[in-house]
Amino acid sequence: MAQAELLQAGQSASASKPARPASARPAAARGAAAFLTGTGGGRAVLAVILPLLVLVLWQLAGRGTGSLFGGVLPTPDRVWAAWEVWAFGKSGLGLNPYSGTWLANVLFSAQRVAQGFALATLVGIPLGILIGWNRLAAGSFDPLIQVLRPIPITAWLPFAIAVFGIQSMGAVFLIALGAFYPIVINTTAGARGVEKNWIRAALMMGARPSDILLRVVLPASLPSVFTGLRIGLGIGWTAVIVAEMVAVKSGLGYVLWDAYYIGRMDVVIADMASIGLLGFLSDRLILLLEHWVLGWRRLQSFQN
Amino acid sequence: MIEFQGVSKTFAGRTAVQALAEVDLSIRDGEFVALLGPSGCGKSTLLNLLAGFEPLSEGHLTFAGQEVRRPGPDRAVVFQEASLFPWLTVWDNVTFGPRVQRRSRAEYEERTREMLRLVGLEAFRDALPAQLSGGMRQRVGIARALVMNPRALLMDEPFGALDAQTRLAMQQLLLDVWQTLGIAVLFVTHDIDEAVLLADRICVMSARPGRITREIQVELPRPRSIDNLITPEFTAYKAMIMAEMKLAHGTH
Repeated sequence: MAQAELLQAGQSASASKPARPASARPAAARGAAAFLTGTGGGRAVLAVILPLLVLVLWQLAGRGTGSLFGGVLPTPDRVWAAWEVWAFGKSGLGLNPYSGTWLANVLFSAQRVAQGFALATLVGIPLGILIGWNRLAAGSFDPLIQVLRPIPITAWLPFAIAVFGIQSMGAVFLIALGAFYPIVINTTAGARGVEKNWIRAALMMGARPSDILLRVVLPASLPSVFTGLRIGLGIGWTAVIVAEMVAVKSGLGYVLWDAYYIGRMDVVIADMASIGLLGFLSDRLILLLEHWVLGWRRLQSFQN
Repeated sequence: MIEFQGVSKTFAGRTAVQALAEVDLSIRDGEFVALLGPSGCGKSTLLNLLAGFEPLSEGHLTFAGQEVRRPGPDRAVVFQEASLFPWLTVWDNVTFGPRVQRRSRAEYEERTREMLRLVGLEAFRDALPAQLSGGMRQRVGIARALVMNPRALLMDEPFGALDAQTRLAMQQLLLDVWQTLGIAVLFVTHDIDEAVLLADRICVMSARPGRITREIQVELPRPRSIDNLITPEFTAYKAMIMAEMKLAHGTH
C-alpha cells in the first residue's frame, strides 16, 4: 500500500510538489479533498491556489484600516471573526443580534430548499416523463409551462407573500417553482430522446406501457434528469435567498439583508460565503447520487 | 407459418414513399430465410412489419394463422446494434422479457443460464453492455431473443456493424444455435456471402419500390459451417446471386 503510494508519487514526478504533501496526509483526508473538488490530489492543490491568492491579496489590500472601498468590504480576518461570533457566540445576549444564530439560520434555509426542491422533483420528474412520452400530456402541459416559465421567480414574490403571508411556505413555494422548470424541461428532453429501438425491444419482449415507462423511459431519461436537478437546485438557492430577504424573517437571506441594513458588512460577506458553501455542498450531494445511480453511463463514456 | 400476401407499405409525409409494393412471401416453421438487397430496398421495413413495429398499408400479414397487429415475444427481434439496455447487466437484459411477462424466477432462470451458455457468455452475466465488445453485445441480443422461446427470430443486419473476423465467428454461432433450436429465422442482410452461408432460401430484393425479384433455394448440405465459404458450390451460388442483383439493378 505504502509502496504503491510512493510509486504513484514517483510517477507524477513533474507534479512532485503537490503529490508529496498529498501522500503525507492520511488517505481519508485525501479522499475527501478529491471528492470535494472532483479531482485527484494534485489537481486539488492546484484548485486551491487561486482562491488563496485572492484571499491573501484582499487581506493585504485592506491592511491598516481593515477594509477596502472606504469601509464597504472588510478584510478576510474580520469576516472570519464575525463568522466565529455568528456561529459560536452566545445567543440572545449583548448588542450583536446574530451571535450564535448561524447554524439555526443555515438550517432554516437548507430546510426550505430541501422542501421546495423535493416538491419540484416529485412533481417535475413524473410530469416531465409524461410530457416527453405522451402526446396528449405534451399538448396540454407543455404550452402552459412555456408561458409561465418566462415569469421570473422574483416576479412571483408579491403573489407568494399575498397567498402565504410572511411564512416559510412562501419561500418553499418560490423555491419549488424555480427548481420545477429546469427539472421538468430536462426530464421531458430526456424522455423524448429515448432510443426508438429500446422501446421496440421492450415491446417485442412483451412489456406493458407501465413497464416501458418505468423500466425503459425513466432509466433512459436519468442523465437528463440529473442535469435538471443540478440546475434546479442552483435556482432553489437563489430563490431561498430572495424569498428570505423579503418574505420571511429567518434564514441566511434574512440575515444577509438585515446585516446590510445595520451596516454589518462583515456579516454580509460571511453570509455570502455560507450560501456559497451550502450551494456547493448540496450540488456535490447530487453529483454523488448521480455517480451512484448512473454508474453504467460513466462506464459508457470511458469506452467511447 | 408466416404469410405475406400482397403486402404494401407507404410512408406518409410531404412526399409519400412507397417502401414495399405487393410483397408475397411465405416462410415455413423452422425455415431460415434471408432477405438480400441494397440499402433502401425495404428489407428492414419488411422485417419491421412482421415484428409489428409498423402497420402495413395494404395486404395481409399473418403469423401462425393470426393477423400481425403488434410486437410480441413469439417474434423475437435481434437489432442491428443489439439495442441492449445500457443500464442493465447482461443477466438483467436477458431476463427482461420473462420479467415483464411476469414469469416466475424458477421458470426463466434455468433457461437464461442455458441461453447464456449457448452464446458463450455465462461468465459475463454481471457485466454491463459498455464492458462488452460489439460481438459480445450481439450475443446478448441473441440470448435475450431466444430466452423467450420464440417461434421465429427476426434479425435485422445483426452482424453488419461487426469486423470481418467477429462476423465470421457470429455466423458460425448462429448456425450452431439455429441447428440446435430449429426455429424459423428471417434474416436481413446486404452481404451475399452471409445470405448463402446461412439461409435455406434467399429472397433477392430491389428498391423503389421495394419488392422481391427472385427467390433462390440454397441446396448446400446441413450442418454448415464457415468452411463452406470456400467450396465451389458456394461460389456458384454467389455468382448466380451477383448476376441476379446486377440485373435487378440494371432495370432501374
